[in-house]
Amino acid sequence: MTGTDSHRGRRIVVAFVLMLGFAVVIFRLFTLQVLQAAELTVKAERQHRKAVTVEGERGTIYDRHGKVLAINVDVPSVFGVPSSLENPSGVARDLARVLHVRADEIEKKLKQERSFVWIARKLDPEQGRRLEGMSLEGIGTVMEGRRFYPKGPLLSHVLGFAGMDGQGLEGIERRYEPYLRGEKQIVVLQRDALGRTVFPKGLDEQGPAAGHSVMLTIDEVIQYMAEKELEEAVTATGAKGGVVVVMEPRTGAILAMAVNPRFDPNAVRAISADRWRNRALTDAYEPGSTMKVFVAAAALEEKVMTPGTLVYVENGQMVVANTVIHDHEKAGWMTFAQVIQRSSNIGSVKTAMALGEDRVYRYLRAFGFGERTEIDLPGEGAGLVKEPQDWGSRSLSSIAIGQEIGVSAVQLATALSAVANGGWLMKPYIVSEVRDAKGRVVMQAGPQVRRRPVSPETALTLTGILEGVVAHGTGSKAAVPGYRVAGKTGTAQKIDPQTGAYSASLFVGSFVGFVPAEDPRMAIVVVIDEPQTEAWGGVVAAPVFQRIAEQALPYLGVSPHQPIKLAMNATGGVLQRP
Amino acid sequence: MRTLATLAVMALLLLYVWERVDIVRAGYHIERLKSKKVLLQRERDELRVKVSTLTAPERIARAATEKLGMIPPQQGQVILVKVEPETPDSDRLADPEVRLAKSHGPGRTP
Repeated sequence: MTGTDSHRGRRIVVAFVLMLGFAVVIFRLFTLQVLQAAELTVKAERQHRKAVTVEGERGTIYDRHGKVLAINVDVPSVFGVPSSLENPSGVARDLARVLHVRADEIEKKLKQERSFVWIARKLDPEQGRRLEGMSLEGIGTVMEGRRFYPKGPLLSHVLGFAGMDGQGLEGIERRYEPYLRGEKQIVVLQRDALGRTVFPKGLDEQGPAAGHSVMLTIDEVIQYMAEKELEEAVTATGAKGGVVVVMEPRTGAILAMAVNPRFDPNAVRAISADRWRNRALTDAYEPGSTMKVFVAAAALEEKVMTPGTLVYVENGQMVVANTVIHDHEKAGWMTFAQVIQRSSNIGSVKTAMALGEDRVYRYLRAFGFGERTEIDLPGEGAGLVKEPQDWGSRSLSSIAIGQEIGVSAVQLATALSAVANGGWLMKPYIVSEVRDAKGRVVMQAGPQVRRRPVSPETALTLTGILEGVVAHGTGSKAAVPGYRVAGKTGTAQKIDPQTGAYSASLFVGSFVGFVPAEDPRMAIVVVIDEPQTEAWGGVVAAPVFQRIAEQALPYLGVSPHQPIKLAMNATGGVLQRP
Repeated sequence: MRTLATLAVMALLLLYVWERVDIVRAGYHIERLKSKKVLLQRERDELRVKVSTLTAPERIARAATEKLGMIPPQQGQVILVKVEPETPDSDRLADPEVRLAKSHGPGRTP
C-alpha cells in the first residue's frame, strides 16, 4: 500500500465520520423543528411568556387647596419559601429584628410544609429597604399598594378607609370607589433564560390607567379648627361625643365635617364599626330649640307673625293635651322676636298652633327634614318627620320645640343655610371635582338648588331676629367680636333607653348659626352629645361656634363689619390711623 | 460582479442581525429605565406622604406651641383692615384687603 492510498483512506474515514455527524445533527434538527415543532413551540411560549395582572395606582384625595389627604404608595410585603430554607430559626430571628414581630411566630410560619407563606404584608418602605439589604435566602418581597392617610385622624369620618386589597370600605373611599380604583390589566411579558423581561411587546404599550383623583370641598385648616375645638369641648364637658358641620351657605359646599371621638384610618383594624360611623349624617337626634328657627320661618312667610307681634307666654307654664309645657323664665307678654331670642317654648308652641299642623309639616319638609339631603357620602339617614295623620294630640306642640322629630347635623346645616342665603335650599356636596391621571376633568360638581322654602324677605327678617339671639339672647357666647352673628341655641332631652321616657340627665346641647350675618360665609352646626356638666346649648355648644368662627373668618380673609380704615402711602406704609 | 453581489447580500444579512441584536439591547435598556422610573415614582410618593404628614395643621400647631412656645393670638391681637389708597386714582384700583397682626397683649408694646 502506497502512502497516497493511505491518505485517501483516511480522508474517506474523516468524511464519513463528518457526514455521519451531520446526519445526526440534521436528524435531530428535523425531529425538533418538524416532528416536535408544535409541541415545543407551546412549551417555549410558556417558558418565555409570563402573564401578570397589573393594577393602576388608586387615586389620590385632595382638599380644596390641593393638600393630600389620602394617597397610595407601593410598599413591600414579605413572603417566605419554607421548602428552600435550611435554617428557619436563624432567618426568623433576623426577620423579627426588622418586622418587630416575635421570632417564634415567624419561625412557626417558616416551618410549615408549604411552598409559599406570607410573613408580613404592606410594611413601611423603610422596613422594606432594610430587608433588601439583608438579602435572606428563601425570603422575598413583592410590592403592593398601601393606602396612607398622612393627616392621621383628621377628616377620618369623611374620608373613610380602604381595605387590605385596596377597595374602598367607608366614606369617600367607598362612595367614589369607581373613580378612585385603578384599572386592572393582564400584561404578557417576554422573559429570557434568567427570568428578566426582554422587551416590551410594543413601545406604545400603555400600562393600566391609574385611578382618578378626587378633590374635596373640605378646607384642611377649617377642618382642623373644627376638630380641635370640638375635641376640647367634648373633653371639657365630659360629653359622649359631638359633631360640627361647616357649610358655605351660598353653594352648599361642606368646608368641614368633624365627628368626635375620632379614629385613625391608618389603623382601623383595632376599632369597632360604631366608631367610624359618620354621625353627622347617619344619626338623627331630637334638635330641641334649634327647630324654632324653622317654625319661625314658616310663621313669617305665612304672615302669621311679624317680629313685633305680641305673644302671651303664660308666665312660663302652659298645659297642652294634658302636658305642662315650661319656659326657662317666667314672662307675660313678649314680641315674636323675643320668643325666638329668649327661646320661649310656650311662644313657639303658640306660633305652631297659629300655623296649624299642615303648614308646619309642609315647611319642615320644604326645609329638607325627613328626607336625605343627597350629600355625596354613604350611609346618610333621612331623619324622622311623621305625616300629620300620624300625629298625636301633643305632636304639634312637641315639634314646635324640636321633639318628636329626628334630624341629622347635615340636614340642620342645609336648612340653616337656606335662611342664611336668602331662602334657597341647596344640595350639600363634598366632592368638587374628579380628574383622571392626566389631569383631565372627569366630573365636576357645583352649587345645586333644590327649592326655595322661604322668600328673601322672610330670610332677611329671620336673620335679624337670629342676630338678636346672639346679641342679647340665649346665644351670647357665640358672639364673635367685629362680626355680626346670627344663630340659635338648642338643648334637647334625650330618650332614656331604659324607661323610654325623656331623661332628666341625658341632654344634647347644640348651636346653629351663620356668620357674617349680612353676607354669610359659613353656616356652622355644633352638637354636643350628653355633656356631663351644664347641658345648655348656649353654654356648651355656642362657645365652640364662637372659637371656630373667630379663627376661620380671618383665615378666609373676611373683614369685620366695622373695619378700621387706614390711609396708606404709595409704598404701602401706614400714614395715619383716623 | 458576483463577488460584489455576495458581499452586498452578506452586508445586508449582517445589518439585519445587528439590527435584531440592537433591538434586544434597547429592550433591556428600556426595561432598566422602566424599573428606575418605578423606583423614582415610589420615592416621589413616599416624599409626598412625608410632606403631607409634616404639613398637617395638627403637627404644625403642636410644634408651634410646644417647641416654639407660641400661643394663638388673643382677642384684639389680630386686626383685619380694608385698605383704601389715598391717591386720587384710588377708585380705579381694586379694593385690596390686607391682614395685619398687631400685638395689644399685656406686657407688649403696641
